[in-house]
Amino acid sequence: MNIFSGHISHIQVSGSLSLIAIAINENVTLKTIVVETPETVGYLKKGNAIRILFKETEVMIAKNEISFQTSIQNILGGTIYSIEKGIIVSKVSIETSIGAVVSVISTEALESLILKLHQKVVVMIKSNEIMIAE
Amino acid sequence: MIAIDIHKILYTAHGSMLLSIQLDIEKGQLVTLYGVSGSGKTSILRMLAGLMHVDKGRISVHDKTWLNTNEKVHRSPQQRKVGYVFQDYALFPNMTVRKNLEFALEKGQDRSIIEELINIVELEMLQDRKPEMLSGGQQQRVALARALVRKPELLLLDEPLSALDVNMRSKLQDYIIKVHHQYELTTILVSHDISEIIKMSDKVYCLEGGKIVKQGDPISIFTNNQVSGKFQFTGEIITIKKEDVVYVVTILIGQNVVKVIAQESEILDLKTGDTVIVASKAFNPILLKVEG
Repeated sequence: MNIFSGHISHIQVSGSLSLIAIAINENVTLKTIVVETPETVGYLKKGNAIRILFKETEVMIAKNEISFQTSIQNILGGTIYSIEKGIIVSKVSIETSIGAVVSVISTEALESLILKLHQKVVVMIKSNEIMIAE
Repeated sequence: MIAIDIHKILYTAHGSMLLSIQLDIEKGQLVTLYGVSGSGKTSILRMLAGLMHVDKGRISVHDKTWLNTNEKVHRSPQQRKVGYVFQDYALFPNMTVRKNLEFALEKGQDRSIIEELINIVELEMLQDRKPEMLSGGQQQRVALARALVRKPELLLLDEPLSALDVNMRSKLQDYIIKVHHQYELTTILVSHDISEIIKMSDKVYCLEGGKIVKQGDPISIFTNNQVSGKFQFTGEIITIKKEDVVYVVTILIGQNVVKVIAQESEILDLKTGDTVIVASKAFNPILLKVEG
């Protein structure tokens, strides 16, 4: 599990859904959509400390030269510092400005992207894949 | 209201332990005592039933004093309106189901309660059998009915379902909930089964070393909103197996077996038999209609 701490910088509520922006550091704000509102969870308040969690299997990797636009709201640049290659799946660890992000991708994808140690990449996490915790 | 304030030094395999409990249970509630073996759960039930001496304290049930060590009030087990169901049924083997129930009648008590209870726990077809001819679940239904013959003010259930398989457990849970409401009982359950506790109880008290360390409604005690995932269950780990660079963790949730991919860092403090929360976001699961 990828876990980071931050502070809630913005909350937009509609019905039982909320879009929450979490500032992890000065430059990085991640966004998540949850089926919670400030009424259902007490800690959903602007300025509150919060943790975010997302699975390694939900982290996509793109090479830096990617130029097309995506619908993915959470995009971080980083450098690969470890690769564990399996037969079907492989684990790629990336150092980013918010810390280490781990991604589990198919070994085929690892090979076709020709990912290597110290390579600069972009990691992407869809906003609906991020969970929050106090 | 049942007000309990009891203190007793218990001598256990690990030395002595001060059991010190204060509880106020509202009439009509079903509450659970939860904790590891040796935390004092069964001792509390035994003291409530008058089967174990209390060093100091008081027990009052709906404004009647059952125990007050200061005023030397100590009702005997027979003078307390308590129904007690044990894990091992404790039926009389030489008596039929009906005789087992009748044996619990008080002198001069209206016998119609026997018929009523036999109907409620659906023992009509089995009433002339002896316990050895019954399954575990059927025997426990008899034990439950017998505990209710004297219309107890307090029903004590000491892990009554832990010897039964999952299907039977679920049925018995329904019977217990039914009689609890029908007879407006106040019930104290001892259970280790989190799904059972969530299903059955209004409130749970977590015990550690003879003290209540946590209390609240079961959902918030056991899931306590640790994460925002709305697809959330509690289950028991059956196996953890390494596949490639990840681990496949097999978990029993109720009667369903699910598998979850996990990383090494997540399974470091997990082992077979551990209870875990399985959580995913409400966005991930798909729904397929089951036809017919």
